[in-house]
Amino acid sequence: MAAKSTAIIQMHHVDKHYGELHVLQDINLDVQKGEVVVLIGPSGSGKSTLCRTINRLETIDSGEILFEGKPLPQEGKELAAYRAEIGMVFQSFNLFAHKTILDNVTLGPREVLGTPKEEAEKEAMDLLARVGVAEQAHKVPAQLSGGQQQRVAIARSLAMHPKAMLFDEPTSALDPEMINEVLEVMVGLAKEGMTMVVVTHEMNFARRVSNRVVFMADGQIMEEGAPDEFFDHPKTERAKDFLDSIRGH
Amino acid sequence: MSAHTTSMRDALYEAPGPKTRRRTVIGTVVSLVLLAVAIFFIIRQFYITDQFNERYWSFLLEWSTWRFLLEGLWGTIQVAIMSGIISMALGLLLMLGRIGQNKIVSGICHVLTDLFRSLPSLLLIYFFFLVIPKYGIRMPSFWMLTIPISLAASGVLAEVFRAGVNAVPKGQTEAAMSIGLTHGKIVRKIILPQALRIVIPSLVSQLVVVVKDTTVAYVVSFPDLMQNTRVLISNYDALVSMYFVVAIIYILINYAINQLSIYLAHRSGNKIVTRTSENPV
Amino acid sequence: MGVGEVVAEFGGVYVSSLLSTWLMTIVCFAGGLALGVLVTIMRVSPIKPLRVVGDFYVQVFRNIPTISLLVIFVYALPYLGLLLDYRTCLIVCIILVVASFASENFMSGINAIGVGQIEAARSVGLSFSQIVRLIVIPQALRTTVLPMTNLLIATLLTTAIGSQVPLTPPELTGMVNYVNARSVAGISAFVVSAICYAGTALLLGFLGNKLDKKVRIVR
Repeated sequence: MAAKSTAIIQMHHVDKHYGELHVLQDINLDVQKGEVVVLIGPSGSGKSTLCRTINRLETIDSGEILFEGKPLPQEGKELAAYRAEIGMVFQSFNLFAHKTILDNVTLGPREVLGTPKEEAEKEAMDLLARVGVAEQAHKVPAQLSGGQQQRVAIARSLAMHPKAMLFDEPTSALDPEMINEVLEVMVGLAKEGMTMVVVTHEMNFARRVSNRVVFMADGQIMEEGAPDEFFDHPKTERAKDFLDSIRGH
Repeated sequence: MSAHTTSMRDALYEAPGPKTRRRTVIGTVVSLVLLAVAIFFIIRQFYITDQFNERYWSFLLEWSTWRFLLEGLWGTIQVAIMSGIISMALGLLLMLGRIGQNKIVSGICHVLTDLFRSLPSLLLIYFFFLVIPKYGIRMPSFWMLTIPISLAASGVLAEVFRAGVNAVPKGQTEAAMSIGLTHGKIVRKIILPQALRIVIPSLVSQLVVVVKDTTVAYVVSFPDLMQNTRVLISNYDALVSMYFVVAIIYILINYAINQLSIYLAHRSGNKIVTRTSENPV
Repeated sequence: MGVGEVVAEFGGVYVSSLLSTWLMTIVCFAGGLALGVLVTIMRVSPIKPLRVVGDFYVQVFRNIPTISLLVIFVYALPYLGLLLDYRTCLIVCIILVVASFASENFMSGINAIGVGQIEAARSVGLSFSQIVRLIVIPQALRTTVLPMTNLLIATLLTTAIGSQVPLTPPELTGMVNYVNARSVAGISAFVVSAICYAGTALLLGFLGNKLDKKVRIVR
């Protein structure tokens, strides 16, 4: 297997099927510490599934996934502890509907890390201020706009001091005018050196902040490269077609 | 994008790891053993109390037994269908009165709806069976059963209809008003046809309640399935077998009605409203 | 005999009848909820036989007429060596039926939570038991307040089948029979019982609505 590597996330020969459908085919991907990797590709290409396998929301059939050189725990306390180290932001926000914004952010630290209430709340308020929704702290999720909810979801992940963060189409469910407020928060995170795996269709974001773009189709990684290189000179026909289609040519 | 859809039921437990899988297998085996033991003891209890004796079951092989049960079932069906029709008509009237523009009628319908909804059908049956005759009014047992069941069901149905009316999008009324229709016409031509379609599955599922209510027909000596069962029991002295067989018949009938209602709801994409589910208090 | 005279003559029995109806309703509802929780746990468990038994239980007891179940308990079970007194038969039957509806309510409460929140909870690092305790149960309870209120009222109405077995004191429906056997009360006996039922149902509905407004989860 891979010799001494600095990669924080490593995927080797990962395969996954949904029945007949081969959704991940021999995936090999390393993500370095502090790297921002953007996964793009047409819907059904397996990019979301790939992202979700990294914190085992999806299981894999064969191959292996390593985090900091250790294989992913399969279950129980070890798995929960592992997930606490990886932040995840979903397309549909998935805030806890019965809890206030503040409680959404403090739940993890208090229940998983055992942070005392006051300390957790103080830090949560700082995080909420940072993502610009501090005034909403005592509302419930349904009272917030989509953009605000997604920023809270990011704060909820950050409260766990994650070593890496996964973003599964974080802006796809948002109205156009709210996309930027979420992307700005993500740009800030990237600048601070957060390790990020981002599934997105936001090409400007990919160009601006990513270190690497990975293009997927039909469950395979078709090509990967530096963003400028990829967007300006895609190597495969599939990537060219895809880029044309989203640019509206 | 995941190609499979997970129900909450499955989502609660995630894809198991090796330990969890082993535990699940052990749990499955243990629960199967416990289940087998429970079934064994139930069968044993039937056996040692001699309830498997042929004389308790053999008459069930005779056509005459089933003909008599079917006659009872026909009685049940008659009451159920008549009650279904009356309660639907009455429920619809109560709902229309309630949403109508006349304040007094609306108030009366509101009170009647809540009253019928909050009285047990048995109490209403006693009213028609014990109270009404005291005032010199004689009624056939069919109506002493059907009317109270209909009244009890009409309260719930009025609420079901109202839920249906509320489910018709507001824009429909506004559009109808903008082309100059009167209130009465809007209700008759625009809202009701849509509301009725929405509540069809709920109406069907409400039949289950009506069928259950008919089982007290023996109170007024109406020959329904349960009453005829009692007759058979006294003829053949086979109480245990008969009561179990008839319970299964009722369960199957109601199960079929429920499945039909679920099928209709699924096909039309409408929710089923029942007393204990969505119904507003 | 007018309502006033009925109350004057049978007032004491009515009070104990009303109280016994209330008590029976509470016991049956509480028992039904407890059993309903158990059945629901079976139905969502990953152990297949438990799921099947739980589903089967619900189909049987939501479809069986309570009277049919009651006659089995009162008349058939003694032949099978199980003799229970009338009140116990009645309470057990109602609990069995209420539990099936309670479980249906719990299931739709759980379904309303959505897979996404469970995945989010998992991603934060919550364990299975924490997810159940902190996310699933609180939300399932809060979304089922109205259906459960309606089930409580339905439980009250179901206790009327107590009129089919001898009870002392009789419950509210049996009271009509009781009073009619002892006087020429006619409609008055019915009216008093009806008022008790409707009043109780109204009160429960009011309280349930109030509680629902307080704890309802906006989605």
